[in-house]
Amino acid sequence: MSALATKLRQLRADAGQTSSIASARSPITVLPERSAAKSKGTSPSTHKTLSPDLRRLLQRHAQLKRGPAYLASNDRDVPGIELSPGLRYTEANVDWLAPPDIVDAAFARMESVHHRRLLHFDTETTGLAGGTGTRAFMIGAADWHDGRFRIRQLTITSMAAETAMLRTFASWLADDTVLVSYNGKCYDSPLLKTRYRLARLPDPLTGLGHLDLLHPVRRHWKGQWENCRLATAERELLGVVREDDLPGSEAPAAWLTYLRGGSARNLRRVLAHNNQDLKSLAGVLLYMARLPHQ
Amino acid sequence: MNALPDRYHAADELVLRSPGDGRSLAQRLNKRYGARITGAFVLPAQEGRYAPLPPDLPPALAQALRSRGVNQLYSHQAEAWTATQTGAHVAVATPTASGKSLCYTLPVISAAMQQHAKALYLFPTKALAQDQVAELLELNNAGELGVKAFTFDGDTPGDARQAIRLHGDIVVSNPDMLHQAILPHHTKWAQFFENLRYVVIDEVHTYRGVFGSHVANVIRRLKRVCAFYGVTPQFILCSATIGNPQQHAEALIEDAVTAIVESGAPAGEKHVLLWNPPVVNPDLGLRASARSQTNRIARLAIKSGLKTLVFAQSRSMVEVLTKYLKDVFDHDPRKPPRIRAYRGGYLPKERRAAERDMRAGSVDGIVSTSALELGVDIGSLDVVVLNGYPGSVAATWQRFGRAGRRQQSALGVLVASSDPLDQYLVRHPEFFQGATPEHARIQPDQPLILLDHIRCAAFELPFAGEEMFGNEVATPWLDVLGEEGVLHREGDRWEWIADSYPAIAVSLRAVADGNFVVVDRTNGRQTIIAEVDYSAAPVTLYEGAIHMIQSVPYQVERLDWDGRKAYVTRTAVDYYTDAIDYTKLKVLDCFDSAGAGRGQAHHGEVHVVRRVPGYKKIRFYTHENIGYGPVNLPDQELHTTAVWWQLSQAVLASAFEDRQQALDGFLGAAYALHIVATVAVMAEARDLQKSVGSGDGAWFVSADLSGRGQLRGSDGQPTALAPDAPFTPTVYLYDAFPGGIGQSEPLFQRREDLVAQSITLIERCDCRAGCPGCVGPILAADEHHGEMDVQTPKALALRVLALLVAL
Ligand SMILES: [Zn+2]
Repeated sequence: MSALATKLRQLRADAGQTSSIASARSPITVLPERSAAKSKGTSPSTHKTLSPDLRRLLQRHAQLKRGPAYLASNDRDVPGIELSPGLRYTEANVDWLAPPDIVDAAFARMESVHHRRLLHFDTETTGLAGGTGTRAFMIGAADWHDGRFRIRQLTITSMAAETAMLRTFASWLADDTVLVSYNGKCYDSPLLKTRYRLARLPDPLTGLGHLDLLHPVRRHWKGQWENCRLATAERELLGVVREDDLPGSEAPAAWLTYLRGGSARNLRRVLAHNNQDLKSLAGVLLYMARLPHQ
Repeated sequence: MNALPDRYHAADELVLRSPGDGRSLAQRLNKRYGARITGAFVLPAQEGRYAPLPPDLPPALAQALRSRGVNQLYSHQAEAWTATQTGAHVAVATPTASGKSLCYTLPVISAAMQQHAKALYLFPTKALAQDQVAELLELNNAGELGVKAFTFDGDTPGDARQAIRLHGDIVVSNPDMLHQAILPHHTKWAQFFENLRYVVIDEVHTYRGVFGSHVANVIRRLKRVCAFYGVTPQFILCSATIGNPQQHAEALIEDAVTAIVESGAPAGEKHVLLWNPPVVNPDLGLRASARSQTNRIARLAIKSGLKTLVFAQSRSMVEVLTKYLKDVFDHDPRKPPRIRAYRGGYLPKERRAAERDMRAGSVDGIVSTSALELGVDIGSLDVVVLNGYPGSVAATWQRFGRAGRRQQSALGVLVASSDPLDQYLVRHPEFFQGATPEHARIQPDQPLILLDHIRCAAFELPFAGEEMFGNEVATPWLDVLGEEGVLHREGDRWEWIADSYPAIAVSLRAVADGNFVVVDRTNGRQTIIAEVDYSAAPVTLYEGAIHMIQSVPYQVERLDWDGRKAYVTRTAVDYYTDAIDYTKLKVLDCFDSAGAGRGQAHHGEVHVVRRVPGYKKIRFYTHENIGYGPVNLPDQELHTTAVWWQLSQAVLASAFEDRQQALDGFLGAAYALHIVATVAVMAEARDLQKSVGSGDGAWFVSADLSGRGQLRGSDGQPTALAPDAPFTPTVYLYDAFPGGIGQSEPLFQRREDLVAQSITLIERCDCRAGCPGCVGPILAADEHHGEMDVQTPKALALRVLALLVAL
């Protein structure tokens, strides 16, 4: 622990804030080690009333040279090809259901749409806190392509690759694309819009049609099922039973572990989870499209 | 309890028969109650100084102003216009009711009309924000200007928020919303930020101490987000009259501001009376209640046909005073009420109705809490009576500013309560006459506050390279946050990585978030009624403590230390509690030293260990000690900054007969210095603490039950010094916040003034031997020393202070 951290920890304890309170907010406990400090020069800080020893600590700390991060695991295999540094791409074309040419979207109070225009999408994110501090580390998108269900997934293995991921996803969207999601109107879409804004890229989502299945599912089955999550809908409507599924709540830690040099095992499970989400999206959509009109 | 016989009948002779004014009432009060009036002065009428409407105002705006009767500007409004048009940041510090809001309304509306520029207004309270929007809408409607103004606060419904973000030209909010809702979601506000031209911050004198230090950091974050959107907004700040408006504004926004401090608004003659209730028990220094005096003055004023506003410190006092006045003026239920109460807790509709009645002039007397203090328009008044000192000279003037008509003299009366601060202020009329003694201070680089906001800032936008945050290079702080696991470093960028929303955990009113919440369990309720800073909890929330919230007593039944909760119930006891507080200080680092008379003054970093072994029960009004209760809490440690004074052993030996006398003198001096210093830095009394101990931390002194100094060793047990042991008693004033909040440095700068003021405080006190108004409560036995006794706590404290006066 750095000297500044020690000093701050002490002041926090004075203020009744224990370090365990602070670290409890972070899901990560394994941290890379640091190399020793080297001190020289002065900081441009000018404020006079900070205590001198804290100032000295800051100056010393500013000169810290970081050592290499400790690699916690040798299992660093993330599937797919590298589109650009830090951006992995996987594609799978599977036989999955048989959509009618025209999908009836009246259940969602939308006009019928040709299945070619549908793009199912789902993001995996660093958390649910919202705001500008939450990001997507994976974007999955699936469409019907040459009669098969094409599942494309983008995963970033570095922060810097986010911009390339956002650009690639944008290139998959056409003016007449209709997005299909589960709670994407409230969650995935605004989150991505924020990321495009922060990356100073044009927002490709605004203006697109968006079929969010959560609300129609709620309208139909609320009160009949234990809840209206996608996992419940796919089980009730499609008979999907997942094996070795990584709960969505563990996705942030899976990515962060990998990012910090840890094992990629759970990150691969996130890919599988995201893959199944996309298939279930299409399944629930087609199920609802076939329901008799009310 | 009013110990005086009722003299209403005698007082009624003072009622002005012909329609009076502030001056005639002041004269009569002076004549009849001269002994109670500790200060009387007159602010002469001031002619208005005017300037034409600026030619570069948009014509439609000029037209709207004219249609609202504004055909010219006051000089300060015109100055503000000119300054803003040069692109300068502007700070306006002029009295209440001088038309401050036009200083920012004109540039903001002009820019909105001409360039579709947006503005963000920050007010400390929701009520003020709503009034401001109402005013903007009226002006807008008068000229069909097409400018859209909205409030954005915790009450704004979710579905309205999107429209406000996209279409609001002027968004009126508060620092907490900016901190917790706007900045962490700035991408949703992208269009607003891209066009943001003005940031208006009103009532900046309220942003001081801990709150102000946080707000300065929120402004740093705001500027950082603005830079992301490529804008550099202009700041317009408004303040009540304080000693350092320009410096304070510059400290808040960390940029140069053009200060405008000369009001051009016309003002009628204003009389001010400082009123101390008469002494009813000279031995105890006990005075009649402020309430009885306030009631009397208000009654006289209303009977004399003067529109009167009474400010009380608490809701319950508002109700009591309202009842007293209604008993006199509203006994006929068939007539419309002449007396109205106005306080927080009323529904907005009720408050609007009250304001309308007041403006219409059908109400003769209003009793209000500070809910009415600022901005709210209730028309012209003749007399303002303050039932108790509102906590700062600036706030006193703001409230007095409510009274005043152009053609007629007005009167403001400050009625002092028995609180030591009230007693101090009421004996220093010069504080209200000359330059105000109050300086708003902030310490934005307080380490814990800074760390919290760097955390929030990193959530909003990644840090890159050697980025500065305020005065600091952010890197070492980012390293700490990296170690904490909330940031991830990649190359030279630091990115937020945790699944948390840090702004929610940062209260703008506390240092770090170890705060205690006070939960009211009266009658099965379960309501949070207050928050108490961690450092204040041991001395205010121990089990058995009487905790006053807005003058209402609650008793602490259970303290859940680890859960940071105190459970209280309403109570009706006749005593308050005072923690017995053993504080041991050790100097860690001396930043600066200077001679102080025959001693030394210092400023530096200290380590404080504080233990609360028990508490005293003290009866209201008489200050009798009626009992004792034990407290069982862990010792508190605090690393903070302090200012301290010392006298050498040799000097003390020649001035005092024995060491006990010297210790008593130091205790009394500490008490007086604490009162004076609290005023000087506009602190809350509990945010600044006092202690007396040895210079080397070997022992400290606590006031025993008699008010005399008891020497205690580092274990807290009573002890005595060997006759040949070194003896350098020291009086400390220290910041009650970990890391300090920047109060001790300005106190060190003003050290000579503080000692001089403490001497006059004690000298001017009417008690004989000492009292809570000067050197602290003392034992009855001490009161029976002869008048000339040189060993009273008062005399001993004066002797210590005299040795510290610059030669
Ligand atoms: Zn006294």
